[in-house]
Amino acid sequence: MNDLLIDFLRGFTNSNDWSALLPEVLLALLALVILVADIVLPKGKCNWIYWVSIVGQLAILVLIGSTFAIVTQPDSNVLFGGLIEQTSSSQWMRGFFSLSALFITYIGRIYLSKHTLAHTEFYHLVLIVAAGMMLLVQSSHFIMLFVALETVTVAFYVLVAYGRTSSLSLEAGLKYLILGAMSSALLLFGIVLLYGVAGNPLLSGATGDSLNYNQLSTFIELNASNLLVQLGALLVLAGLFFKIGAFPFQIWVPDVYQGSPTPVTAYLAVASKAAGFSVLLVLVNGPFLPLSEILIPVLSVIAGATILFGNIAATSQRNVKRLMGLSGIAHAGYLLVGVVASLVVPWAYYAVLFYLFNYLFASFAVFGVMAITADSCDANQQLDDYRDLGRTQPFLGGVLAFGLGSLAGIPPLGGFIAKLFLLFAAFEAGLYSLLFISICGVVISIYYYFAWIREVFFSVESSDQNNRTVEFSTADSVVLAIIVVAIVLVGVYPGVLPLMQ
Amino acid sequence: MLDILFYIVSAFTLIAALLMVMSPNAVNGAMCMIAAFVGTAALFILLEAYFLAILQVLVYAGAVMVLFLFIIMLLNVEEIEPSNRKSMRSNFLAVLSFIIVSGLMISAFSGEYLPEPELLPVAANPDGSVVSKIPFTTSSKSFGYSLFSKYMLPFQVTGFLLLSGMIGVIVISKKSTEQLEAEALLEKERDAS
Repeated sequence: MNDLLIDFLRGFTNSNDWSALLPEVLLALLALVILVADIVLPKGKCNWIYWVSIVGQLAILVLIGSTFAIVTQPDSNVLFGGLIEQTSSSQWMRGFFSLSALFITYIGRIYLSKHTLAHTEFYHLVLIVAAGMMLLVQSSHFIMLFVALETVTVAFYVLVAYGRTSSLSLEAGLKYLILGAMSSALLLFGIVLLYGVAGNPLLSGATGDSLNYNQLSTFIELNASNLLVQLGALLVLAGLFFKIGAFPFQIWVPDVYQGSPTPVTAYLAVASKAAGFSVLLVLVNGPFLPLSEILIPVLSVIAGATILFGNIAATSQRNVKRLMGLSGIAHAGYLLVGVVASLVVPWAYYAVLFYLFNYLFASFAVFGVMAITADSCDANQQLDDYRDLGRTQPFLGGVLAFGLGSLAGIPPLGGFIAKLFLLFAAFEAGLYSLLFISICGVVISIYYYFAWIREVFFSVESSDQNNRTVEFSTADSVVLAIIVVAIVLVGVYPGVLPLMQ
Repeated sequence: MLDILFYIVSAFTLIAALLMVMSPNAVNGAMCMIAAFVGTAALFILLEAYFLAILQVLVYAGAVMVLFLFIIMLLNVEEIEPSNRKSMRSNFLAVLSFIIVSGLMISAFSGEYLPEPELLPVAANPDGSVVSKIPFTTSSKSFGYSLFSKYMLPFQVTGFLLLSGMIGVIVISKKSTEQLEAEALLEKERDAS
């Protein structure tokens, strides 16, 4: 009996290949090392913890890049008894999260140097979030998905409320906590319904492991008309819509984006949204593919409403963090158009990933400038504060213009090519009404992005009270210059990101 | 007999949950929440899931709720005043969405979407050869086996989840040394002036 049991359990653990998850393991270890280093290392003027974190993350980024060729074989790599599935797109997303964690650590230091807050825990949580998101995009099992998602979300609750001296940050943390818990409940309810119905042996295609995407996919194919399956799938998607800030679940976005510390806003806007989208892509093109008859209309309506809501709400916004949040909702709408298109034309999958990378570069340019120009009152950055920035700080103004131009989709920049790919995918998929709404949205977005650029360069009156000195080091300008180069390079030569085969 | 028990326990749980949401006093709400948890535990017992029932009582009704009550007492929360006119609309929407959700659930569970299979203990069917019945086990041992073999990775990740929660509590509630120094400086300046 004992041997039988051991053999049985060995069947589970055979594919537990921890070395395949080396970047995640190393990130988690680095996070622990930072906590210990905080106690051990001398507390001087030199910020040791920051450098340990930056150097460690650079090494991990190099590691991800160097193992790229090994992992991106044509076949996907199923590990941990079906909990983890590594594909070429999940490998790209690992790089994405590693890159964003590196940048957030970087602008995190700028933020923390202006506030009297604890440093080490910030860097620690950023690393934990990055590792959790990497696992999230590779998961192919609902248990893994939920655990990774909760790890990311719990760490984000803390990061959002990190500015504990600011009541807006605490308010944002509370709002994010309550609405995030509700979205997790929706997601969990959906998972439970799917688990219950797919494990029922009296239905055809029932499986013993009904939380596994592959087994669930065969079950849903045979029972696509089952009401419980449809309800479960829709509830799971509703939970994800919250993370990406799609229309009926976008209510938290402006307040939370405004209240959180600027680096955390950037992290939420870029990495959290990207994680939601890559999970959405995996689910919609995997287990939920047989439900596409329901999913296409539902996702289309949500995509259209999200684009219109985000753009229209952003037009009258003067607070730049709320503006980034609301325009981020609009970007989620464009990306959802790509997700709908991916159900019809498979290459739209990569168009969405390509868009995410461009969104990363453009947002980081904007948030980088925001973190540098912000004074100690982080949450109340108005458009008026950027008046004359182009004259007093031409470099920062230029970086901001490149970032905003890319977000708006101005031709030589990366954002233009990414939008073009998405719209072309929508055209090929025959989503003409969504195409029309997206183009309307892009036109509206040019209005408010250029209102910001106008404040920076062409403000009419030169205000006297706005004589804050903005200081930044050469390292800051090098980092921002690299981001601008990336924006332009991807726009001029999209083959730099070989996502599309 | 079991059916009658099920209805009694479910009614108890639902009423307790309803009272928890409706009660204006936070302490009463927490007490009703304990009652709802105990009712859920009783439902688990009726399903022969003894291990889950014990966990439910120990962890939720025990540890978590004690913490809740502790914090409520500590914060000295007063009674919440009934909210303004806006609640009329939200009440209507709440009732509407409740009707929609319960309608969907009733139609989902009453049709042939979910046939009722019989349960079969895992011990009687170790190789999974009987496929028309759901294998189940109530022993805590089997939880341990799968937790430390198949679900090893999520188990480890959960550790980090708890760690980040713990760090969050500390970092949000505790003042950093720099902050304390800054406050001390401020006080000194105030004294000087």
